[in-house]
Amino acid sequence: MINTIFKGIIYFIIFVSVQILVLNNIHYLRIATPFIYLYFLIKLPIGISKSVTLIISFVTGLTIDLFSNTPGMHAAACTFVGFYRSDLIRLFWGKDLPEGVSPSYAFLGISSFLRYVSSFVLLHHIFLFFIESLTLFDPLFLALRIFFSTLLSIVLIAIVEAFNMEAVKNGE
Amino acid sequence: MRKLLEFLISKRHWFLFIILEIISFILIYRNNAYQRNIIFSSANVVTGQIASLSGSITSYINLREINRELSERNAELEMELLERQEELETLKADTTLFKGFALDSTEQSYPYDFVMSRVIYNSISYISNYITINKGEKDGIAPDMGVVSDKGVVGVVSTVSDHMAVVIPILNPKFKLSCKVKGNRYFGSMTWNGRSIYYANLEQLPRHVEFVIGDTIVTSGFSTIFPPGIIVGTVASFEKEKDDNFFSLEVKLSTDFASLNNVRILRNYRQKEQQKLEEVRKND
Repeated sequence: MINTIFKGIIYFIIFVSVQILVLNNIHYLRIATPFIYLYFLIKLPIGISKSVTLIISFVTGLTIDLFSNTPGMHAAACTFVGFYRSDLIRLFWGKDLPEGVSPSYAFLGISSFLRYVSSFVLLHHIFLFFIESLTLFDPLFLALRIFFSTLLSIVLIAIVEAFNMEAVKNGE
Repeated sequence: MRKLLEFLISKRHWFLFIILEIISFILIYRNNAYQRNIIFSSANVVTGQIASLSGSITSYINLREINRELSERNAELEMELLERQEELETLKADTTLFKGFALDSTEQSYPYDFVMSRVIYNSISYISNYITINKGEKDGIAPDMGVVSDKGVVGVVSTVSDHMAVVIPILNPKFKLSCKVKGNRYFGSMTWNGRSIYYANLEQLPRHVEFVIGDTIVTSGFSTIFPPGIIVGTVASFEKEKDDNFFSLEVKLSTDFASLNNVRILRNYRQKEQQKLEEVRKND
């Protein structure tokens, strides 16, 4: 239990700082920005209660907001995906999953895991970019941004997961 | 009653969800107000420190480029100075100079001066972008001051903390700037459409204004924020607006927001006076 919390905190620090210091500066063709910090939310252990997931998601989003001058935007989007996380997991793998395990390739199979990641990221990005476009609505540009950012985030998360030694070890 | 209570407890995550979303949207809404909350922006102490640290590391990366630009600008200004001196000399030679004329030294004829500052956080990927700079209230910065780079207009100071300030750049739909084509007096309003960081739109420019593609767009000086004549960009393309009475211009911005590093904050001594005067006028 302590171990899980400790691991969670390390994940949080690593991925949030990578997001703030590096990826927030990427905006390929002014369209796509990857959001790797979602990896932290994706990897939360299965079976923690919905309320806790919601609070963790909210705090994560708020932290990103503080550093990128976007008060509330990421917080709202993260709370939204946090709310649907357990439903997504259940949708892709049914109900009988052991508690306390993080979703990973090895544990859940590559295709299921990728589907889970894709729907998670897509939900988050749609919500995020819709909120952002409240100030300036431009449907075509919005769709482009959602599509390419989602693509970039998914690819990055898939790569990080493939190189995540701990997840590989646990799968054996 | 107990059934109801049990039901509410079993659905508690719903309430939590709704509450958290409401908090988020309050934050978003408050952010959209012009005056922003210092706690939730990169001008706050903790986030500002981190942004400042990462800014000081990345500022080394473009040093060579900045150096080149600065020396170019320097050379340009030197040339202009020489030209002016030459001009002055010829004018002096042509006129009988009245030696007894002395300027009133207590009166400052040009009410602007500037403070140099470094950019510590700069976003260009969002629709509402912000820039954080490392000078604040203690350095004499106040909201509504204009910010320029060595190439042209950057934005307007919006929130100020002790040692940092947040600037609303041209790349933000909240930013509006009164501009004109250099060399004539008709002005239009400059806004950003959220697409490219290299272009902004100048709208409501009367149709009889004469210009060609490539002409310089400068500030009109009708606000207290920027003095007239500061470069904003050049005309890239233009089209007639729907009602046929105005031009809408696409302006290539002269400031490169992607590599912004050093900026100057313009202070206007007479800003308060003018604002007060205009306020009185509005109340009539």
